[in-house]
Amino acid sequence: LVAVGRIVFAGAMSHVLDPDYYDRACGAVGRRTVVECMAEIARMGERFSATGADALVVVADDHLNAFSFTAVPALCVRIGRQVQRMTQDHAEAFDRVLEHMPERYALHEDLANAILAQGLRDGFDLAMSWEAPLDHAFLSPVNTLHGTRPIPPLVPIWVNCFVAPQPTARRCFAFGQHIARVVARSPWNVGIIATGGLSHFPELSLPRVGETDTVFDRKLIHWMEHGKHAPLLELGMDELHKAGEHEFLNWMVLLGAVTPARADVRYFGELPRINLAAVEWRLG
Amino acid sequence: MSRYEVNSLLYRLKKDPAFRARFTADPAAALTHADLTEPERAAFVARDMRKINELGGYLHLVMSIPGLAAH
Repeated sequence: LVAVGRIVFAGAMSHVLDPDYYDRACGAVGRRTVVECMAEIARMGERFSATGADALVVVADDHLNAFSFTAVPALCVRIGRQVQRMTQDHAEAFDRVLEHMPERYALHEDLANAILAQGLRDGFDLAMSWEAPLDHAFLSPVNTLHGTRPIPPLVPIWVNCFVAPQPTARRCFAFGQHIARVVARSPWNVGIIATGGLSHFPELSLPRVGETDTVFDRKLIHWMEHGKHAPLLELGMDELHKAGEHEFLNWMVLLGAVTPARADVRYFGELPRINLAAVEWRLG
Repeated sequence: MSRYEVNSLLYRLKKDPAFRARFTADPAAALTHADLTEPERAAFVARDMRKINELGGYLHLVMSIPGLAAH
């Protein structure tokens, strides 16, 4: 193998990309806003497909679907040759987003194994799974990015964003740096996306569904746009929990993989339920 | 740390259609062997998802259990 691999695309985006969901949750403004966001993500996908990447790393979180309570890994790499879409009878809410998506997706087995094995060698005690299915956090962005174009082999990676205690923002960033090192030692051109957010569901409290923290979002965006990643390393889970920024841990992995690249905001739209976003990084 | 018994029950209600059907038909009977405190049991029997969330039930579960989800 010749080590000429590089990260050729990096993007982050919200991950319930469904006009009907936001129509039910927020009315016409919800539908209009997510349609606009999805259009920008589709354009990002055209740019990603043009790179001809060998693989797409997808960093997202489990919504207590894949892992149940038998085990909740802090960081988990999906290995194997293919992965299935999550199934849910009589699906409600965000689970319904999956219903019309393809059921099976190819995995980039060699890249996933390299991230896992080199991670364990280098001090990241990663979990692995051969069986965990993918929920909307992975498949809604992947399908919106690609539309009807072929989807390259995926490397799904879970971050525990919701079940306390979670990994730290600093640790997620360090894991992203590990991914970048693995890619650089590989022969592959790789895209990476992180999904979820921005601010929604503060404190995971049902009475607070409908609140967002736009000031906090603007602060995160400012740092990402200017490539100022040091302050992001100091983010604590308490403040992320209060601001409804749990899923920013996924973004921290991506930031570690591309640092010190600057971000361009392709879309930011405020809704009562969530602030929708699509962001792309300028890679050298 | 999370409240395990509440959340494992929520997870089972989401992923086990037969158990969900038994619960829907007779919540108290379905929970006979569940290791719950009295406030937890009362919240489940009342299908009070807001209270279950307040008692430690994860938001994404209380929002996505078929037929019982809070919106």
